[in-house]
Amino acid sequence: MNYLGAFIMAIISYTLINNVVLSRFYGICSFIGVGNKVKSSLCMGAAVSFVIIMAAAICWPLYNFLLVPAGVPFLDTIAAILVIACLVMIVGLVMKKFLPALYQSLGIYLPLITTNCAVLGVVSENIASKLDFGMAMANAIGTSAGFTLVIFLYACIRVRLEASATPKAFKGIPIALVVASIMAMAFMGLQGIGV
Amino acid sequence: MTVLWAALILAGLGIFFGVLLVIFGVIFHVHEDERIKDVEKMLPNYNCGACGYAGCHQMAEALVSGKEPMVSKCKPGKKDKNYDPIIAYLSAHPDQDGTLHVPKQ
Repeated sequence: MNYLGAFIMAIISYTLINNVVLSRFYGICSFIGVGNKVKSSLCMGAAVSFVIIMAAAICWPLYNFLLVPAGVPFLDTIAAILVIACLVMIVGLVMKKFLPALYQSLGIYLPLITTNCAVLGVVSENIASKLDFGMAMANAIGTSAGFTLVIFLYACIRVRLEASATPKAFKGIPIALVVASIMAMAFMGLQGIGV
Repeated sequence: MTVLWAALILAGLGIFFGVLLVIFGVIFHVHEDERIKDVEKMLPNYNCGACGYAGCHQMAEALVSGKEPMVSKCKPGKKDKNYDPIIAYLSAHPDQDGTLHVPKQ
């Protein structure tokens, strides 16, 4: 298979088959926290996608052209965290300026993207599996598309759940967790597909 | 030698990202009411969320804008340490058009 085909297949695989939230279990915090309104879930997905793709694009050359030649590859995690924290701060500043209402509605979950394990997970996966730059970007794009897709679907379900008659003991977060587990089972059905 | 490189690279990255953030901070500066900062300093700054707001900053915003009439919504706050100074401060500092938003206890 040529490289472009492999690239597209890798994106599909990371989006659907190895979905970041539902089969690798990264980024659950913001998934549960923001996935109760459709609009804020989409914006959260966009913010996380931006951070993941930029972090992967910056950290890959940083690791391979700076840390490895200098003989300090063990600095990968701390350097990645520096990059991610800086990116999240920039997203926060830009959002506060141009989308203040959204900044308010995302609240604490926006700065918490810094500690979203999906972001660090992608970066350290790229380094640990020694992917080349194209595949690293495929991982980043696929993972962020998967995150956005799943948080959006989850928010759509939860908006309908709010209006439905749930047993009192299950109201709110408990039923949301049940929904997440059923979604994970549904996505497990894709696991066998080999691409 | 490795330690030196490690320290140099981390320091370099830190300075680079610091400068970048300062530049972005200046470009995307948002003008905020200066009283919010002062009121926030007078709150306990535990960011516990017991008042129902996301943190002390949001509570200070609500107090300054008059959206929150009760300063005692802040549960860990003390009367003499937090409530009284905030009430005194907001009675002395009206809005630009002269209206006062003084919270009650």
